[in-house]
Formats: sequence, structure tokens, C-alpha cells
Amino acid sequence: MDTLVLWLLVLVFAGAFVAQVAARVRLIAIAPNTFEITHPATRVARVLVEVFGQRTTIRERPIAGVAHAFVFWGFIAFAPYTASEFLAGLGIVDVTDSGWFAAYRILLTPCAMAVLLGILFLLVRRTIIRPAGLGTNVSIESVVIALFITTLMATFLLTWWIDESTTAGRINWWVHVSVILGFLALIPGSKHLHLVFSPITWFLKSPTLGNLPNLDFEKEEVGLETVKDLGSKAVLDAFTCVECGRCQVNCPAWGAGKTLNPKTIILQTEEALLAGTRDRALVDLYSAQALWQCTTCGACENQCPVGVEHLPILIGARRGAVSNGHAPDYLGAMYNNLERRSNIWGLSYGEREKFVETAGLETFDPAKHDVLIWLGCAGAFDADYQKSMRSLFEILRAREVRFGVLSKERCTGDAARRTGNEYVYQELATANIETLTAAGPKTIVTSCPHCVKTIGDDYRTFGYRVEIVHSSVYIAGMLNELQPDETAPASTVTYHDPCYLGRYGGTVDEPRALLARMNAQVNDPVRSRDNPSCCGAGGGLLFADKEEEPGTRISDMRLTELQKTGASTVVTACPFCSIMLKGAQASRQADVHVVDLMTFVNGRVRKL
Amino acid sequence: MHIAVCVKQVPTRDWQPRLNDSGTWIRDEDASFEMNEPDAYALEAALRLKEQHGGDVTVCSAGPARVTQVLREALARGADRALHVQDDRFASADVYGIADALAAAIRDEPFDLVLTGLQSDDLGAAATGVVIAERLNRPHATIVMDVQVDGGTLRVKRELESGWFQWVSMPLPAVVTIQSGINQLRYATLKGIMAAKKKEIRTVTPAAAIDARQQIARLYAPEKGKKTHLISGSPAEAAKELVRRLREEARVIA
Repeated sequence: MDTLVLWLLVLVFAGAFVAQVAARVRLIAIAPNTFEITHPATRVARVLVEVFGQRTTIRERPIAGVAHAFVFWGFIAFAPYTASEFLAGLGIVDVTDSGWFAAYRILLTPCAMAVLLGILFLLVRRTIIRPAGLGTNVSIESVVIALFITTLMATFLLTWWIDESTTAGRINWWVHVSVILGFLALIPGSKHLHLVFSPITWFLKSPTLGNLPNLDFEKEEVGLETVKDLGSKAVLDAFTCVECGRCQVNCPAWGAGKTLNPKTIILQTEEALLAGTRDRALVDLYSAQALWQCTTCGACENQCPVGVEHLPILIGARRGAVSNGHAPDYLGAMYNNLERRSNIWGLSYGEREKFVETAGLETFDPAKHDVLIWLGCAGAFDADYQKSMRSLFEILRAREVRFGVLSKERCTGDAARRTGNEYVYQELATANIETLTAAGPKTIVTSCPHCVKTIGDDYRTFGYRVEIVHSSVYIAGMLNELQPDETAPASTVTYHDPCYLGRYGGTVDEPRALLARMNAQVNDPVRSRDNPSCCGAGGGLLFADKEEEPGTRISDMRLTELQKTGASTVVTACPFCSIMLKGAQASRQADVHVVDLMTFVNGRVRKL
Repeated sequence: MHIAVCVKQVPTRDWQPRLNDSGTWIRDEDASFEMNEPDAYALEAALRLKEQHGGDVTVCSAGPARVTQVLREALARGADRALHVQDDRFASADVYGIADALAAAIRDEPFDLVLTGLQSDDLGAAATGVVIAERLNRPHATIVMDVQVDGGTLRVKRELESGWFQWVSMPLPAVVTIQSGINQLRYATLKGIMAAKKKEIRTVTPAAAIDARQQIARLYAPEKGKKTHLISGSPAEAAKELVRRLREEARVIA
């Protein structure tokens, strides 16, 4: 009788589970295929570290993360137990009387206690502590799930005291089994679907941050316009999201009180997919305001514990908007600058030539020069950043590094690509690749982390491969040849990691090594190294009129964080960060000095 | 409303002009080209009028085969079709040659309004629009900052000297030359670029003879020179003199 009832229940609840999962799998299957499995070894390694090792879950929130890890590892430990109980209950095979099983039960007992400890802490955190990232309302469903897990562990532990053959024992067994079945039916419709999907999502997540598909104009690809354009990975992401809010609390736009919340973007996607509103314009779904507030800093993606990729969705939707002429006015002006003058500021090329001439730069020749210096828009045209470039040249010349520049260099197209103007980006990229291929450098050195990302990663997808390094990496490579000027006063500095250098490039030690070599004590601000807080310039927002937007300025927010270390000097290593932080400093006459890394080093190195 | 916009293809500003061997023209085989910027504002004004009143925009250019580049660009930005008066001689033709050719090409089409930029970035004669109006025997206005259409009447705001403006009304059809910078130019969208591939560029052949009124005997590159003035006197006097010269001679301050 018990066996028959259990069979019936399993069929009903497992059926409910399968039907709900299948509905979501179908939505993934009909989406345009964006699954990629390049670098399989990297992907497998990451699944092991991230899913089984719970790396990101713990890194961002150590206490809650460890509590979650207890529950997760407990689940894995309990999987054979649950399977055995069901197989026995369904009358298929009974191994629960074996000696092995008895030993297994003994081993499971401390696991059950760890799970209990973990889940009770998480329950208290969710209902009483209530951190901001979890949203304003207490999720009833999460409370139910937590109580389910608590019941599962309690009923397991009770088996040590209650004999299974007694009535109380049977009730205990049925409670345990029913909760598992209830759990099964609850999973697909809730954020607990991450139990099923997150290993797959992690495996399919791009190994490089900010990896975007190149649009194929021949196939009339214009980016993501409506819900049905969202690729299979984006749809999978929407169903995997665990709503923990790590993306939200790390987002500079959300932190500054703007409309954009990366978690909301994913939840809106999920809602639209399930509602079946496939022709809904993404720009309406997410709101144009939110869409254009993303700095593409990548914090959301990097802090996500389940492998969600926000940038392809946000930039994809920007592409769809830009392709239809719906870019904000400030971007329209910038696009015209790029189209007509090939630089973000629309300045005449003669300005760059003037700088090249006055700085005494030679045209790159692989036979004569060791490295090609890529000036970038800021290095070529911005009077302030040209000072930093001159510092770099002085350091290189003093160490007899032979270098040259291109006679014609265009913007890499970073600002066009991150804001969704793929046409202008590809025009610039194609022209630059042609020039670079003809010039034939083996190594390119630049002070712009955005140029490193675009030439190093994005141009690679067009088949152009070159070693491109940030100036901090190149100069740190000759650390032994740099002696500090001992007459310079000792100083304490705050180092601001640029997002495209620290988070995208993973370059965090070289700038610090250079600063330390120059006898500077480096103070790390809150949010540093591979999870810095953005200056506010990325993703085309350098050009935005922030006065019009809600909230504070992102650059102001960051400068305040940087000032809190108490150091009177802020050093950074990106032209965009430099412009933003100097702007924030000047606008409120902050008692701090912002300086670019190369200028700082050149000012303190002993002259040869 | 049917609008025609006359655009010119000019060497890019970044190109360092070099003269041909006989010194009568630039070596345009070395140059890269772009749409004359003032014409881009005329195109933008036309596209805005179309958005407001409906109708269509035809972009017209007289020049060698290479001018299809700017015609294609105009189509990508939203013009509906293009008219190309093609002849290699237009590469170095004067105002009359170009204006006659354009006027002849658009004469038989039912345009309500012809727009063009105030002047070209290469020759800067600022006369093509006016000559077209004369050839078509239509009213015209120059250096226009705002265009308003009400039924068959055109009302335009002209820029005068010293910050003065003038509103002028005239019947349609008419010809108007647009001042640079009056609107924010739209960018070419991917959708627009794709659509432009399917739009028509009609090529017409000009009359056999081109009526040139002007002949270039010799071109000279302007000589660059630097001159330093040292202003003497007390700092206060020197500053006053500096301000006077910046205002009256260099005219960099108002």
C-alpha cells in the first residue's frame, strides 16, 4: 500500500517538476543559439571551483557564503541517501539494511548538523537581518524552502531516536519523503532552479569578461531589439538567477542611486520570457534610462555566484536601440566624431600630429623599434593625458627602449562597441587592424586599459593577434632598472584600480609594485584589485550629462571612497579614470591630488 | 512635401592638401573624402521637415563616380533616394558648372523645397545654392537657421551680422541654404545602412558642355608665419593693450 501511494506521489510531483523545467528548457531551445564551449578545460575547472568550491559565493559574503556552502555540500552528501530511500520505498531495491548504509548514515550525521546550522543562519539573515541586496520584501518562498531543508535534516536526525518500524517512525519517514517531493515541485518556479541550472550556466559563461558576439551585417544582425532576440545563454541566465543581489550591491549605477539595477534587468527578462511577450521591445522592458546608465564595469558579472552574464544583455539591447537610431543625443554626437574624425572628441588629426612632432616620436618601424606605443584618443588628443604620455616616453628613453607610434591611428572603437554602435566599431577595428598588420609590431604598449581590452580581446575575434600590454605592466617588467630618487619625500598614496585594468585585465600587482618601488606606501580603498568601484566613465558615460540623471555622480561617490584611506594622493592608471576623478576633485575642491601612474613614477624615479 | 538636398563631396579636413604637377588643382587621387559639413546640416534639416510634414527627401550631387560614397551616407541617414549627376569634370568644376548641372537635373522633378549647405568646405564660394535658385527661377534665402513650412508658404530665419536675425516668408517652391550647426546631426544607424543598400541612386549624364566661368591659373599654399609682438608698458597697461588687440585684431574675444 505504502509503495503504491509513493509511486503515485512520485509520478505527480516528479511530473510537475519535469513539466515546469521543460517549459523553461523549451524557451531556451527556441532562443537564438549563443552557447559556446571554447576553452573546455577552463570551463570545467571553473565549474569545479565555482560550483563545487563555492568560490564567488563565499568570496563576496564570507559568513552567508560558508553557510550556503554547508547547505550545498550537505545536499551532495545526502543525494545517495535520498536516492536509496526512494528506491527502497518504491520497492525497486533496498540497500538501507546493508552495513555500508549504516556507516554512510553515521558519516551523514555531522553533515546534517552543518546543513542545519547553515540553513538556520540563512533563515535568520533573510527574515531578521535582511540585507539590501535581497530586496525589500521577505520572500515567502525562500522561507518555505528553508523550513523544508530544516525539516529534512531534523527528520533525518530523528531516525537515530525513532525506530523506523514504529508508527512514529513511519510518520517521520513520510514527512521526510513528502518534503523532498514538495521541494521538487517548488524548484522550477523559484530561484531554486539554480540547483539545476547553475552548473550549466557556469560552464557556458564566457571565459573572458565582456565577451560580445560580433554582429554579422551580411546576415542583417542589428543586436537585440525584442525579447525573442535574447540568445539562449541570456534565457538560461534569466532562469538561473538566484536573486542574491550581489550584482546589485556591486553596481556603481545602483550605488549612486540611479535607475539601473542589474538584478532587476535579469528578473525583468525572466518575467517577460515566462509571460510570453516575445515582441516586447527590450528598451521598453528595461527602460532606456536604465539601459544607458551601465558603465560596463563588469562588477555584476564578476560577483555573480551562478554565472549570469549581464553585459551581453545590456550591450545587446543597446545595439538594438542604436541600430534603430535611439541612442541618447550625447552618443549621437560622439558617433559622428568617430565617423568623421576617428576619435571620440572629433578633433582634427593635425592635433595628434602636433603632439607626435613636439614629443619627438618616430613612426614605428619593426626593424628599428622594440615596441609600438599606442597613444589612444586620450594620449593623442587630451592635453592633460599627454603629460602622462610624455612621462612614459621619458622613462622608456632613459632605459633606451626604442619605440615608435603609428602615423595613422584611429580610436579602437571601445566607446562605440560598449554603447552598441557595432557598425562604427567594426569600421574602426577593420581600419586599425589593417594599419597594425602593415606596421607589424610584436608588442604594443599603451596607457589606456580600454585599448588593451579592445585590441587584445575584441580584435582577436577578427583574427588579429598581438601582445598588447598596459604601460604599468611594461614598466614593471624593468623594475630592477628603476631606482627611486631618495631625495623625494616619502608618501602614502591610494591606488584606484581601473575596471578595465583590474577587473577585465587582472592587472593588479604591477601598478602596486611600481608604487612600492618608488617608496610610496600604497593604501587600498574599499573595493579594489579585481573588484574595484567604477569611476563612472566606462560604457560611453564619459560623454553623458550626469547632471540630468537621478542620484549622485558615480565619480563623486568613488572619490569619496578613495579619500577615506586618508592619503593625500590618488594614483590611477587609465585616462578615463583620470578625467573623471580629476573632474570630481575639481568640482568640489577636494583636498586630494589625483595623478596618473606614469607621471607619479617619472616624478620619483632617479634620473639616469 | 518633396525635398531635394544638394550635397558636395569634399576632401576630409584631416587630409594635408598637395597640389598636382601643374599646380592648378589638388592631387585628389591622394585625398580621402567626406560629405561637406554644411550640407550635412541641410540634410538634417530636410530629414526633420520630412518627419514633421511627411513626404520624401532626395539627395543630389554632381561629381565623379566617387561621390556615391556621400550619397550612400545620406541614404543611410534617412534620405529616400539619390540623384547623381556623374562626370569626372565636376571634380574641379566651378560654382556655375555644378549649379547648372544640379539645376538641370532637378528642374523636371516636382520638388517643393531645395536645401543645401551655406557653402562648401573646399572652395567656400557660398554661391551654389543661389545660382541654382536663379537657374530654376525660384525664390531663395541664404544662411538660414530655422525653416518653417505652413501649407504653401515658407518662413525662414536668416542670420545677419552682429547677432541679428531676420524672418523672411516666401512661396514654395523655393531654395534655401542652411547655416552650419543649427541642428544636431543624426548618426548613421545599422538599420539605415542596410536599408540604404536597397535604395535607388539614379545616375544622370550632364549636358555635353560645362559652362565654366572661372579658370584656375595657379594654386598656392598659404605661407605659414609666426610673428611675436612684445607689448611694452606697465602690466596694467600691457594687459589693457593685449585685450584690445585680442578683441580688435585677433578677434578672438567679443
